[in-house]
Amino acid sequence: MSKTKIALTGMAALSVLTLAACSNGNSSSSNKMVKLPQAYKNSKSAIKGGTLKVAEVNDAPFQGITDPALASNAEDTDVFAPEIQDLFNNDSHYKFKNGGPANFKLDKSAKTITVTLRNNLKWSDGKPVTAKDVEYAQEVVASPDSTSQQYSDSMSQIVGMDEFHAGKSKTISGIDMPDGENGKKVVFHFKQMSPGMQYGGSGFIWEYAEPYHQIKDIPIAKLASSAQVRKNPLSYGPFKLKKVVAGESTSFVPNKYYWGSKPKTSGVTVQVVSTSAIEQALKSHKYDLTVGGLPTSKYPQIKKISGYTTTGTPSRSFGYFGFNLGHFDTKTAENVMDSSKKMSNVKLRQAMAYAINQDEVSKKFGNGLSERATTLVPRFFTQFHDNSNNGYPLNIKKANKLLDEAGYKKKGKWRQTPDGKPLVINFAAMKGSDTVQAEEDDYLQQWHKVGLDVKYVNNKPMEMNSFYSMLQAPSSNKFDIYLAAWQFATEPSPQQTYGKSAQFNMGHFVTAKNTELINKIDSPKSFDTSYRKQQFKAWQTYMTKEAAYLPQSEGTDYSPVNNRVKNFTNDPAHTNTQYAELALTSNSTATK
Amino acid sequence: MWKTILRRLLIIIPEIIALSILVFLLAKAMPGDPFTGSINPHASLAHIHHLMRINGLYDPWYQQYWNWVVHLFHGNLGMSYEYQEPVTRIVGERAINTLWLAVFATVMTYAIGLPVGLYAGRHQNSRSDHAIRIYTYVTLSVPFFVVLVLGLWIFGYMLGWFPTTGSINTNAAPGMGSVISRIQHIVLPGLLQAFFSLTGIVQYLRSEVIDATHSDYVRTARSKGVPVRDVFRHHIFRNSLLPITATAGYAITGLLGGSVFTETIFSYPGMGLLFVSAINYRDYTVITALVLLFGFLNMLGTLLSDIIMAAVDPRIRIE
Repeated sequence: MSKTKIALTGMAALSVLTLAACSNGNSSSSNKMVKLPQAYKNSKSAIKGGTLKVAEVNDAPFQGITDPALASNAEDTDVFAPEIQDLFNNDSHYKFKNGGPANFKLDKSAKTITVTLRNNLKWSDGKPVTAKDVEYAQEVVASPDSTSQQYSDSMSQIVGMDEFHAGKSKTISGIDMPDGENGKKVVFHFKQMSPGMQYGGSGFIWEYAEPYHQIKDIPIAKLASSAQVRKNPLSYGPFKLKKVVAGESTSFVPNKYYWGSKPKTSGVTVQVVSTSAIEQALKSHKYDLTVGGLPTSKYPQIKKISGYTTTGTPSRSFGYFGFNLGHFDTKTAENVMDSSKKMSNVKLRQAMAYAINQDEVSKKFGNGLSERATTLVPRFFTQFHDNSNNGYPLNIKKANKLLDEAGYKKKGKWRQTPDGKPLVINFAAMKGSDTVQAEEDDYLQQWHKVGLDVKYVNNKPMEMNSFYSMLQAPSSNKFDIYLAAWQFATEPSPQQTYGKSAQFNMGHFVTAKNTELINKIDSPKSFDTSYRKQQFKAWQTYMTKEAAYLPQSEGTDYSPVNNRVKNFTNDPAHTNTQYAELALTSNSTATK
Repeated sequence: MWKTILRRLLIIIPEIIALSILVFLLAKAMPGDPFTGSINPHASLAHIHHLMRINGLYDPWYQQYWNWVVHLFHGNLGMSYEYQEPVTRIVGERAINTLWLAVFATVMTYAIGLPVGLYAGRHQNSRSDHAIRIYTYVTLSVPFFVVLVLGLWIFGYMLGWFPTTGSINTNAAPGMGSVISRIQHIVLPGLLQAFFSLTGIVQYLRSEVIDATHSDYVRTARSKGVPVRDVFRHHIFRNSLLPITATAGYAITGLLGGSVFTETIFSYPGMGLLFVSAINYRDYTVITALVLLFGFLNMLGTLLSDIIMAAVDPRIRIE
């Protein structure tokens, strides 16, 4: 379930401690990240059964929607994870792999994807999972009445999907069930093929099934509030829901109809634990695992707790700066660059990038879990991240030189525009913890050092809703640079975030070269991974040079695992079957 | 008196209407919408607009308000955008949790606070009085969340006397099992809340008792030879309790308010957290319902306080 969503997140998710880090001159040392093991290897033999106790770290109650098609937040997917399973297994790079609940076959020339369900794939009531269940899942997401937030542009590539989504058609013409509704095969016909289709979470098809026989009489608009979804969901995953206490806990028992090896534990409980209580909860050895967001600031204490081994995985959270370079034309539904914008001079943008001292900020305040991001493709995507691209390390001298060359001369304390007018740059940032504020203050200080008069929009960081309302307006002159973050999915195509018609290209950066490079990344030729890698590298090089978006920071997500847990790994190849594989080596949690 | 109470109840109706319009407008004036910030870059903004449209969020405010009023008269407060279920159901679930905790905490606050305050006042400057005063100064100066975290750490995790999270054990048996589990879960947060809240009552009561001890009617009673014990029991205590009684109505109706700190630290899903998250997520239907509920309870609290005052103090009459 970790590969479900991309969401815009606040900087709080990324940032850590307090105070501003300041230093002059060039960046002397790069930040050394701690290397955490991806898996916890427990050589002891497993006991039979036992209940796995999971803490979901969160300061708010979860919402209680068991169906991933209808859930709109990560908390629900965390607390219901033991019973939810993707239709497809995947490898360590999130590429689909056969052998899971269903097999996946892509035919480029026929422009189809064929999904074949296992013969022994059954719901937890013993009824078989059918082709109709897969087809209906697409309807639940795409129906015009649906409350689902999962419908995507990628999904509209299915033939007939636009018509269905608009309510003009009652069925999705591009979905076939060659063996009938009760068969095991579903064929999806696409308008065009994209290499991203091979990866989980890319959104081209909805990768789950819905128990049609259970929910067919409930209007899709009312599905999320139905008892079938809230209290008695059917599952084809390793566990089935036993009980849910609204907003606070869930418990599961093995699904006796599970298609794979029988789960090794006899139950799982997931309990919400607040961020202020999680450290003590772990010190008391109340839980085996944690899911959800453990605060980075607690890492130094949590890593020392006896009885636990801290594992880690590259974070999909990614902080970045964006420059306001144009507007979104609502008539043509395309971004348009505007040369009169304050930040349209590339040297000004590059200078601002060189002035930031992200290495020092991450080093001093990241607890070893955060580092400067170098390109717009985070290191999480090991296949496509360009390691040779060092981005913009601190270089005040170069920043000053670039500004001088571009004609931004100093008059008194601040630099002026090349035509001699005062230059005030408005920085939009989100309100967060004291640490986040300190980091944002540090960026201002660094820019001030090179003579740029950068100020917060309205003189202070903004509340999240106001921030995104401003950014998503088709046109705004209130901000010149902003700091935000993405939570990446498992397919890194830049089309939806930096493309010409991408509405989330909130800096409105558009060039023919950028469009060409992005199109190459998503072209049929890019089904060849080595070709795609080259295109990704070219795009990262180009985007670094253009500096329309500046990568800020990325890091490591850590998770403590109690020493009685066996078979735990953060390897994405095991995510889909993790809960079935986890075993315990003693009846009570380990204290050493 | 009954006429007055009825009149006061009727006045609440226009007040509620005015409050509902105000809340509705203010909620809509907040930047953002229920879908801001939860955007999925694979989703198109067109889909977000679609969701806004099917939820009626692009309708003019008066139309949205009218739709809301019509639904209200059908006992329907709308659907929560965040929870995707009827507002009445969510508020109902949370209100029950909050009531369990708040009733216990309030009862404990008064059960401990009243005798302690009276005792401290009666034995002014004794060692016990000094100890009680030190306690009240400490609790006044320490932030509430610190008390909660410390209490949870010591009694929940270190000593293991109480459950540490939630309102009920996930595997509690139905019937009496779940009732016992609920009680176990409210004892620690309820007591911590009570020990923190009783400070005000103790200080207030203590000073009231001390003031009353030096008043004319007490001097008269003492000079007439009434035993000290009776003077305290029949004159001082009764009069000292009047200001506390004056706020009893608010205390009763305030039970549903919830406490954000307690609910967050103990992961206890109650009304306080529901209200905060509704504001953060721009869950308009929940915001409106809760503000109206709190507003109504506040008005009711004022009336109740007046009625209680009239009942306990013969000198006061509602006219």
